Amino acid sequence: MPSSVELIQSLVNGVGIGLVYGLIAIGFCVIYNASGIVNFAQGVFVMLGGMFAYSFLVQIKLPLAVAAAISIALVAAIGVLVQILVIRPMWQRKAPMFAIILATLAVQLLIEQIIILTFGDQPRTYPEFTGGGPLKIGDIAIDYQLFWILSCGALMVGLLTLFFNKTRIGRALRACSQNREAAALLGIPVGGMLMLSFALSAALGAVAGILITPTQYTSYSVGGPFGVNGFIAAIIGGFGSAPAALAGGILLGVVQSAAIVLFGAGYKNVIALTVLLIVLLFFPRGLFGGLAKRA
Amino acid sequence: MTLRVSISTRLGSYGTFAAISAVGIALLFALVFIQGGYLLTVMQLAMIYGVFCVGLNFFMGYTGQASFGQNAFAAIGGYGTAILCVQFGWEPVAALVASMAIASVASLVVGYPTLRLRGHYLAMATFALGLITYDLSVQWTSLTQGYMGYAGIPPLGIGRFVVEDERLKLVCLMAILLFSLWLSGRLRNSRFGRALRAISTSEAGAAALGIRISQYKLAAFVIAAVYASAAGSLFAHTVGFISPEVFGLQMVVVTFTMLYVGGVGTVLGPAIGAIIASLLPEIVRGAGRFQDIAYALALLVLLIYLPKGLSTLADLGKRRPAEQGGGN
Repeated sequence: MPSSVELIQSLVNGVGIGLVYGLIAIGFCVIYNASGIVNFAQGVFVMLGGMFAYSFLVQIKLPLAVAAAISIALVAAIGVLVQILVIRPMWQRKAPMFAIILATLAVQLLIEQIIILTFGDQPRTYPEFTGGGPLKIGDIAIDYQLFWILSCGALMVGLLTLFFNKTRIGRALRACSQNREAAALLGIPVGGMLMLSFALSAALGAVAGILITPTQYTSYSVGGPFGVNGFIAAIIGGFGSAPAALAGGILLGVVQSAAIVLFGAGYKNVIALTVLLIVLLFFPRGLFGGLAKRA
Repeated sequence: MTLRVSISTRLGSYGTFAAISAVGIALLFALVFIQGGYLLTVMQLAMIYGVFCVGLNFFMGYTGQASFGQNAFAAIGGYGTAILCVQFGWEPVAALVASMAIASVASLVVGYPTLRLRGHYLAMATFALGLITYDLSVQWTSLTQGYMGYAGIPPLGIGRFVVEDERLKLVCLMAILLFSLWLSGRLRNSRFGRALRAISTSEAGAAALGIRISQYKLAAFVIAAVYASAAGSLFAHTVGFISPEVFGLQMVVVTFTMLYVGGVGTVLGPAIGAIIASLLPEIVRGAGRFQDIAYALALLVLLIYLPKGLSTLADLGKRRPAEQGGGN
C-alpha cells in the first residue's frame, strides 16, 4: 500500500496533467458544438504548440511571451487551413460524419510526417517558465509550472465563458451549436463560424502544448495520446460547457495518476478507460450532462 | 467468380460496377499469382482484413452504428487460436470455431450494456473496449506472453491436409472472403438485413414498425464480432505469429479506412476497400521517405472526392430514375 505522501503527490501531478487534458477537451467541444465533428487531429495541435514554442524559444531565442503568441497564432492558422482544405470540401459534399472523422485522422498522420521531415523525430523540451522550484510542502513537491498551468487554465476558461456569453461572435457560435439551420436563417455565417471554431480549438491545443512541454517533452508522436485523453475528458465532461470539460480532464488526470501509484504504470489506461466506461453506462450523456438533467 | 456475378445481378444497380471491379480484381489476382512473393502476402492480408470489414459493415454500414473497438474481438480470435493451438495442440479449425464462439459470448456480454449508448458516446465506449483489450494483451503476460507474442502457430488445415503453399493460402482466404461476402449479401436483403437498414435510417421509424431495436443492434454487433474473431484467427494461421501490435489502434484506423474508401453500407465496398487500402502503401512505396505523406494525401483525396466510398463510382454512370430502386 503506497504511503499517503505518494498518494497526495500523485494527486498533485494528476491535477496538472488533468488541466492540460481539460484544455484539449475544450478544444474538442468547441468544434463538436459548432459542427458535430469530432476532430481527431486535436492532439496534433498540442504537439505543434510545443514544437513551435521550442523553435522560437530555444532556437531563435525569442522572449517567452512573444514565442508563445507567435506559436499560438501559427497553430490557429494551421487549424483554419485544415478546415478550408479538408473539412469544408467534405462538408459541402455531405460526407458521412465518420468519413470526416477519418479524414481528421489522416490530417494527423500527414502533419506528423511533415514534422518528422522538417523538425526531425528527436524529443525536445525547454525549461519551465519560472526557474527554481519545485515548491516543497512537507514531503510533497509541486513544480512551479503547475501554477502556470493552473492560472492559464483558469484564465482560458474565464475568457471562453466571457466570449461565449458576452460577445456577439461567441453567441453566434452557440446559436450554431443549437440549431445550424435556424442560425443560418438569422444571418449567421455558419461556414465562417466553423472556420472560427477550428482556429479557436487549434489555439487552445497550442496553449495546452506550450504549457505541458516543460514538464515532459514534445515529439512528433505525442499528439495521439493527448488527443485520446482529451477526448475521454470531453466525454466525461459531457461536451457541454468549458468548465465541465476542464473538470472532466482533472478527474481523468487524477484517476490516471492514482492508478499508476496503486496498480503500476502498465494499467493506467485500463483503469482510466474502465472509469470512462462506468461513467458512460451510468451517465450516458456525460457526468455533468447527466447531473444537470437530474438537478 | 460466378458467386460474385450472382450477387451483382441480384443487386441490380451495382451490376455494371461489380462486373468492372470483378474483372479488375481478377486481373489483379492473375498478376499476383504469376508474380508471387511479397505481393502474395499483401493480398493474403487484404483478404483477412476484408473478412473483418465485411463483419464491421454489418454494424457500421447496415445498422448505422459506430464501433471503434472491433479490434478487441480480432484479438480474442487471434489469441484464442494461438493459445489453443500452441499450448493445447488443438486442430486449427477447431480453435478457429472455438474462438468465434468465445468472441460471440464476449460481444453479447459487452454489447448488452454498451449498445444503449448512441453516436459518439457509443463510438467512445467501444474505443475504450478496444484500448483496454490492447493494454490487457500487453500486461497479462501469463496468458498472452506480452510483447513477445505467440510464434509457431500452425497454418490452417483439416487433419492431414495442411495449407502451407502461399498461393494455396491465398486461394483459401479468397474462398472464405467470397463466402462471407455471399453471406453478407444474402443477409442484407433478408428480413433481418432490412430491419438493420431501417434502424440506420430512423430508429424511431423502425421502432414504430415493430422492430426490436436493441435486439437487432446487438445481433449486428455479435455478427461483426464473430467476423472479427474469424479474421483474427485467420491472421494467426496465415502469418504464424501474433503480438499485441497486430490488434492495436492501427487496426482500427486501417479497417476504418478500408470501410470508407470502399463504401460503407454496400455489400462489395468493404472487400474492395480492403484490397485498395492494402495496395495503396505498396503503390506509394516509390515515394521513399515521403511514403506516409503520399499515403495520407491519397487517403484525403479519396475521402474528399468520394466521401461515400469507391462504390459510389457506380452512381456516376447510373441514370437518375434508377436511384429510386437502388439498393442503397
